[in-house]
Amino acid sequence: MNLWNKLMCYSRRHSPWLFHMNSGSCNGCDIELVASMTPRYDAEQLGVCLEGSPRHADILCITGPVTHTSVRAVQTVYAQVCGPKAVVAIGSCPATTNVFIDSRVLAGPLNRHIPVDVFVPGCPPRPDAILQGVVKAAEILAERGRTVRVPEPAPAPQSTPLSSAEPGEGQP
Amino acid sequence: MNLITALARLLIFPGLLFAVPVAWFFLWVERKSVAMMQERIGPPFMQPFFDFIKLLGKSTPSRSGVDGLLMKAWPLIAVSAAVGAVGLLPVLPSSGGFEGDLILLLALLEVPAICIIAAGFSSRSLFGEIGSAREAVLTVSYNIVFLLAIVSIAFSQHTFRLEALAQLPATPLRYLGVLAILVCIPAKLHINPFSLPNAEQEIYSGPLTEYAGPELAMWQLSHGLEWVAATGLVATLALPHVAFWWLGIPIFAAFSFGIVLLLSVLAAATARLAIDTTVRFYWQCTLVFAVLAISSALFMRIRS
Amino acid sequence: MNILTMMWRNVRRGAMTLRFPARPPVPSGFRGLVRFDPALCTGCAVCRFRCTARAIAFSSAKTEFTWSYDPGQCTFCGRCVEGCKTHALSQEPSCPPVYLTIGNLKTSYTLARKPPAPKNGAAAPPPAGDRTKQPTKGDAQ
Repeated sequence: MNLWNKLMCYSRRHSPWLFHMNSGSCNGCDIELVASMTPRYDAEQLGVCLEGSPRHADILCITGPVTHTSVRAVQTVYAQVCGPKAVVAIGSCPATTNVFIDSRVLAGPLNRHIPVDVFVPGCPPRPDAILQGVVKAAEILAERGRTVRVPEPAPAPQSTPLSSAEPGEGQP
Repeated sequence: MNLITALARLLIFPGLLFAVPVAWFFLWVERKSVAMMQERIGPPFMQPFFDFIKLLGKSTPSRSGVDGLLMKAWPLIAVSAAVGAVGLLPVLPSSGGFEGDLILLLALLEVPAICIIAAGFSSRSLFGEIGSAREAVLTVSYNIVFLLAIVSIAFSQHTFRLEALAQLPATPLRYLGVLAILVCIPAKLHINPFSLPNAEQEIYSGPLTEYAGPELAMWQLSHGLEWVAATGLVATLALPHVAFWWLGIPIFAAFSFGIVLLLSVLAAATARLAIDTTVRFYWQCTLVFAVLAISSALFMRIRS
Repeated sequence: MNILTMMWRNVRRGAMTLRFPARPPVPSGFRGLVRFDPALCTGCAVCRFRCTARAIAFSSAKTEFTWSYDPGQCTFCGRCVEGCKTHALSQEPSCPPVYLTIGNLKTSYTLARKPPAPKNGAAAPPPAGDRTKQPTKGDAQ
């Protein structure tokens, strides 16, 4: 079904839906992410929708160095994102914990807990840089669907996002 | 209306084959016009189609038991009911219909809302329950006005047949009824100012929180088909009767398009109202007029 | 009615959006990636001391030192630039690029130490070894 596969990859590239999660950020990167939805940068011209539920999204945008109290939440939300998924680490905090390096309250950079596909550096990154990161993640998603079959989803909790459940496995 | 005509109307025109692209088109028109009014570009033309295809390719979380079966069933029921509602619209004049198809259309228009409520509860998620409770309150509030308005129009003309309603003489009651229906349509379609069940930042997508993949694609499709059916109903009731089919269809389409633009202007210009303000609006303000409409219809009928 | 006039004006004026790959110009004085000029660096390591995020690493031996910088760790505060007495550091006025692997943007330079300056007018001693400039970058994306 080559035509269907091509159509699916094209659709994945052109319809990236985001879910935004804050794992202890100072909110600077969150503000810039929401600013990329404003008329000047307009993420919707790329088909981007900021979704309300992790199950609706393809791309998980995470800000913030991962604090100890948010590790379970990050892993749970990552497990709840369905299907072919990609993770964008926005800002230098999720990549390397930035100025909070060696802090006692942090559980290390984000890729210790979930596989990260794109890093958008900056403190905070400008909204156009965030959009470049999102588009790169959408291209990765399209490639991922082309070469790898969609894996079986890990069993995920059905109630509130912060309920107790085991984290899902990483993306192949 | 025999079986062949019914199947043709359900599946070809104005049914599934024709209504699904129109649904995607109306969804795009709403997003694009809201974007233009906000000085943005907005999504490209085929965006709802690409969203649909992408959602078909996502995996769904595994669900067990009756809840899982029910959760899979609700979006399919919603889509079927919406397709049926669109298929009943008398786009082609004198295309057959039956006595009482107005009642069937109203019932089919209600089914997607009921499916959303049931879906929120059967997803056993806290946010789904809150969203469903809000949707239920909203449905009860606007439905009374909606149904009273339609019933008063139909009642005053002694008919429950959509085709006969499409050919009504222009009376003030008819246009007041259309106005009342237009006031209820934003609540039915979950657009501002009555977009309460979809309140993203408050309740994480409300009733559809636990849905993903092809089921979510079906929900989006049923939402688009609800747009087509609701605007088609208003167009049926508001348009003057045209004898030729080659003139009637473009006028119907243009009128529906105009209503979509009007609703987009409303959606872009207003903010989401809270539940108490919404309920107060429908129960205090509009209910008075709806009761006046039905009582004047009764009065006219008794007098004639 | 104010909102309706605003919306009508928006529709007439057209979109103010930048179409996707276009980016707005950064303001003057924008603090982006830190640039290193090997010709001016004296190896004092004040930049490593002043760095708030430990993005600058400095290791030194008798005759050479290595200066390395990880933009992923950097917070772009500019303290290193302010503290460099010889102005060997400056900041690019552009956004740092998106990358796919941790450490992709790291750069490091290994330089030979300069000979000390002559005192009291005596002849300058001959330079010991030449200044080897070997910038080693991690593979960029």
